[in-house]
Amino acid sequence: MTAIDVAQDLVAEPAPKPAKVPWRRALMRTLLYGRNVDRAAKTRARLGLMIMVFALGYTVIAGRLVMFAAVPEGHMGRRTMVQDAIATARPDILDRNGEILATDVRAPSLFAEPNRIIDVDEATELLTGVLPDLDTTELRERLASRRHFAWLKRDITPKQRAEIYRLGLPGIGFLPENKRVYPDGNEVSHLIGFVNIDNQGIAGIEKWLDSSGLADLHMAGLATDHVQEPVRLAVDLRVQHALRDELLKARDKFKAKAADGVVVAVRTGEIVAMVSVPDFDPNNPREALDPNRINRVTTGVYEMGSTFKALTLAMALDSGKFGLNSTWDARAPLQYGRFAIHDDHPMGRYLTLPEVFTYSSNVGAARIALAMGVDAHKAFLKKMGQLDRLRTELPESAEPIVPRHWGELNTITIAFGHGLSVAPLQAVMGICALMNGGYLIPPTFLQRSEADAQKLATRVIKPETSDKMRYLMRLNAEKGTARQADVPGYYVGGKTGTSEKVVNGRYAHDRVLNSFTAVLPADDPRYLVLIMLDEPQPLPETHGFRTSGWNAVPTGGAVIARIAPLLGIQPRFDLPPADQLILGQTTASR
Amino acid sequence: MIRLLNICVIVGLVVAAAYVYRIKFESTRKAEEVARLRLEIRREHDAIAELRAEWSKLDNPIRIQDLAQRHTSLRMIDSHQFDQLSNLPDRPPDLVPPDSPDPIGSLLDSKDLPTASVPTPSVPTPRSAK
Repeated sequence: MTAIDVAQDLVAEPAPKPAKVPWRRALMRTLLYGRNVDRAAKTRARLGLMIMVFALGYTVIAGRLVMFAAVPEGHMGRRTMVQDAIATARPDILDRNGEILATDVRAPSLFAEPNRIIDVDEATELLTGVLPDLDTTELRERLASRRHFAWLKRDITPKQRAEIYRLGLPGIGFLPENKRVYPDGNEVSHLIGFVNIDNQGIAGIEKWLDSSGLADLHMAGLATDHVQEPVRLAVDLRVQHALRDELLKARDKFKAKAADGVVVAVRTGEIVAMVSVPDFDPNNPREALDPNRINRVTTGVYEMGSTFKALTLAMALDSGKFGLNSTWDARAPLQYGRFAIHDDHPMGRYLTLPEVFTYSSNVGAARIALAMGVDAHKAFLKKMGQLDRLRTELPESAEPIVPRHWGELNTITIAFGHGLSVAPLQAVMGICALMNGGYLIPPTFLQRSEADAQKLATRVIKPETSDKMRYLMRLNAEKGTARQADVPGYYVGGKTGTSEKVVNGRYAHDRVLNSFTAVLPADDPRYLVLIMLDEPQPLPETHGFRTSGWNAVPTGGAVIARIAPLLGIQPRFDLPPADQLILGQTTASR
Repeated sequence: MIRLLNICVIVGLVVAAAYVYRIKFESTRKAEEVARLRLEIRREHDAIAELRAEWSKLDNPIRIQDLAQRHTSLRMIDSHQFDQLSNLPDRPPDLVPPDSPDPIGSLLDSKDLPTASVPTPSVPTPRSAK
């Protein structure tokens, strides 16, 4: 625009007197340009216009260059990173103290571009020389195909890589890949799970990681970045080890088929340790396929035996209809139709409610449940989360086996833990709620603060009932069936459970599933420990008994003695007995 | 005027070309440096990951327990062995003034010289049941 203005200005100038020109040229000029036009001025104007146009063009180019220089490099740097990692990078998994449970290391993988291989036979021969475990015929087939890409072997050692490199074969190459390693081996197997060859989670927390976003990242091609935020679990590797070590010892000693255990923080629902032996090595996932090595804590459902009496008694106490001083007729076996419910240690007299607990009286528990009624019993167990599938971060979970028609006979048997099969972790959640003041908190494998747990919690029983239940648990360790687990200094409370297994539709007396639930310390509960032994055998030391008090309870005691210092529980001695310490507090606070 | 402008532009062009060449050369060098450093960082990361994995393998409680059982005679800790700082007895009075030039001499001179002490066992004798 300015250029045009300038040009007009120049034209408008008064033309200087034209020089003398021959008339023919003057005529031509007049015809071409008009009469009074100065050509020199016009040329100058045109040149000026051209200069402007070019200046403008170069200014634009210069400005663009400045923009390129000023804007930081965008996706240029990333392009090189993506192509060198095929298997997904996964975040490290740490325990609550920052110990590594799972991490990635880089391992080279061997691939071939068969269409570029010159001599297939030579290549086969040389490669099998370095990697003897390669199948010769399969390798030759792969190399002879005219494809553009074929994996030959995933994660080889750096030494093998150097040797193959030195062979100098054309069409053979390496790609660095991420390989998952589990430095702790069997220790945390069921909890962590494992991954497949492409580093995708198959089981356990690894699977949970994938389902909570990592798989999407991988699909977008962004999960190759090496630096990902590590995931911290609630598990404590030291506690896990102590629990597993004691369970392995107990399994050997009592020749049990399996042993499993859980340690849960009572007030937050965090699972501090979870063991189910036999377990497997996540570095060798093939072992995990063995059905004997399943995770019994979350995937198995069991009749929990007398442990369930705690729930029955809590129901009676919480209803307000029955107190600790109520008495129950246990003079004779309870007859119901053609069935008779017996006690293991018949007392032949009326029992008070605490005695029903400490003598583990089936008849007493059954009468309590009957007094509450079938509907109340069912509703209470529903409220305690015992009738629905418990879901945690682990993908493996099991549905409890609930009787389809729940009649009085079912209530009688379920009162002492037969006829209803639940996952052990589910029972632990229920007992935790009885101990921690009445809050049902879903258990978790991730770290959780007490405030967060309170948000998730639902109140299921009154705090006073919880106090009474802790009193009963402590009483049972002082003078009941759990005496052998009363580790001095930790004020342990506990309940045993011995349930007979169903073999061919009948309860078998020689096949039992023993459990022991302990709370420590009972006056201010912080942790709950569950120990289960599957088919322990009687030993001379146990005087031929196979009930829980002779195997699961001493195991529990050994576990508690080892883990309590690790969990930071301060030993206290010379504490008064339960009826003064726990019940005394309750009456004082009311 | 036009000629002057032409000369200016040619000079400017030569200078700009030289400058651009230098910048291009420099940036290529820098880019190579960046790529090298990036590779180096990546290798370091990989090495760290490998060492950490190895460390936690060596640090594994199973291995430590095995080693401890094989090479030491340590026993499981007992709950009686824990105590609180507040239960510690008071510090014994100093027998020797802290700035004494001859500590042994003044110790010998002091009247209430301890002659012998009966050490208390730090580990309680295990109960007969165990």
